[in-house]
Amino acid sequence: MNPAVGLTAFLGVVLATAAIGFYGLRISRTTSDFYVASRTVRPWWNASAIGGEYLSAASFLGVAGLILLTGTDALWFPVGYTAGYLMLLLFVAAPLRRSGAYTIPDFTEARLESKAVRRVTSLVVVAVGWLYIVPQLHGAGLAIRISTGLPSWVGSTAVVVVVCLTVVAGGMRSITFVQAFQYWLKLTALAVPVVFLLLHQADAGTLSLAEAASNPTSLPPAGLYQTVSLLVALLFGTLGLPHVLVRFYTNPDGQSARRTTLIVLGLLSVFYLFPTATGLLGRVFAPELARNGQPDALVLLLPGKLLGGIPGDLLSALVVAGAFAAFLSTTSGLVVSLAGVISQDLLGGSVRGFRAAALVAAVVPLAFAFTTDSTALAGSVGLVFAFTASTICPVLLLGIWWRGLSDAGAIAGMVTGAVLCGGALGAGTIMGSDLAPAWLAQPAAWTVPAAFGVMVLVSRATKHRVPRSVTRLMTRLHVPERPVATERQVR
Amino acid sequence: MTRVRVTAPQSAARPAPKRPYTSREAAEESDVGQVFVRSLIRSQLRLAVVVASGFLLVIAAYGLMVALVPDLAQMRILGVPVNWIILGAALYPVIGLSAWLYNRAAARNEARYRDLVEDR
Repeated sequence: MNPAVGLTAFLGVVLATAAIGFYGLRISRTTSDFYVASRTVRPWWNASAIGGEYLSAASFLGVAGLILLTGTDALWFPVGYTAGYLMLLLFVAAPLRRSGAYTIPDFTEARLESKAVRRVTSLVVVAVGWLYIVPQLHGAGLAIRISTGLPSWVGSTAVVVVVCLTVVAGGMRSITFVQAFQYWLKLTALAVPVVFLLLHQADAGTLSLAEAASNPTSLPPAGLYQTVSLLVALLFGTLGLPHVLVRFYTNPDGQSARRTTLIVLGLLSVFYLFPTATGLLGRVFAPELARNGQPDALVLLLPGKLLGGIPGDLLSALVVAGAFAAFLSTTSGLVVSLAGVISQDLLGGSVRGFRAAALVAAVVPLAFAFTTDSTALAGSVGLVFAFTASTICPVLLLGIWWRGLSDAGAIAGMVTGAVLCGGALGAGTIMGSDLAPAWLAQPAAWTVPAAFGVMVLVSRATKHRVPRSVTRLMTRLHVPERPVATERQVR
Repeated sequence: MTRVRVTAPQSAARPAPKRPYTSREAAEESDVGQVFVRSLIRSQLRLAVVVASGFLLVIAAYGLMVALVPDLAQMRILGVPVNWIILGAALYPVIGLSAWLYNRAAARNEARYRDLVEDR
């Protein structure tokens, strides 16, 4: 790929992000309340922003790469990423909005009236956030290496620097605008090349998708256990992601939180058609990428390989821009929510504390990214989902739907899930992906029930610790708000 | 519309002041009110579990079909293998439809609750 094309695309995304951030900032002073938690943001804007934040390196590069590598086994990833939002809608969206909590630790503290629970939740949230940022930085390294030939660390560092600058300078105030823009950029960046390539190949009469069925490498197909465990992780992991909850706060009430989630599901469904199509095209036209160990680069390399010349360069630039939009939006969303948690619990919640916390939140995973090797992006993000599903998911679900949850139960369950899942993933990583047995490599199927079980049993044993405010809080979580019309009249 | 400024909740520094109950909250915390609230929570949970189980059944049915009809991978529509079409495209409308039905039913549960409470 032409290095100038890659660099121009990267700079273009950074400038566009900064410009929209600035423009949005000015608008927010004059018209509606973007800065003030965007309580009046329309569901469409909000849903685009949620989509923009959620679609990470794993979705943009990883899914197509994994489909190239393993075919239908990998198709479960986008299905799971989308269906995770269905679970979030069913069990979490409206009650969580009504709780008024801004972060997950806020919610658990309010629900269980316990500072200790808050601290444990904060630790878990920070761990999840860091684990989730690392694959974004690996993706950035890969993208910069493929598109410009520069070493990988340049890409990771560039993303961290840009995110830190925007967060520290306060440019994230208009984050709704920026994230919404990045959703549509990511969709365009995948959809236009796919449509172009399909038309081009159909025109040339070389389009035959029959070869797509056979795997380009000799990887064994995933067994039933692996598929079920992956689905458990993705379905129950989404509702515990720290950067997702913050966005729900910007809905005016529980019902609009549900409406927003419905739109998000539509946006995700449309988006995931294109990585799937790219993966399918890759299996026909670029199977060698799977064999030389660069499947995640498929999205970036396919346009140039099939078209060449100026059209190829233009499409490549678009794809690189979309990829950096993915790294930047997910990383900044995570850094903002991590900085919120770190600064509140350690630094007293001041603005200066928030800035310092943002630096910590972004630099630590950068160090991780330098010291670890990039593996399949979709796979490593899938492991983070397994971890949230075994820690934060049980405390949210039981906290929202079960009056009997006690602080001791919540802590015991989260610690159990974190130790079992973290231990399994760590052991699996040390043994290497070839040697690790399926139950270590994909632990969600047994760690999630274990965390739920411990949480319920310990809560049962410590009934006297269930807070007395539970009746009032459950009422607040589930009773619909007064209709907006009367609320306006009251004011 | 009032402007609501969102900052970090200063819960650690000062606890929220105990404000007096509104009449609505008092009604909700009475014994009769709690009967209605509990029944609302139960019906919302039942609804969520039913929709989630329905979706999981669809997935299980697909898995069963793949196991029972090994020829599925050979079948093509417009040159694309059928299992790719099901898993790569056809499941998404199912997810969207489940979500839409859930939203309608959940809103209906809440409307019923409101009617009950306001009738009293």
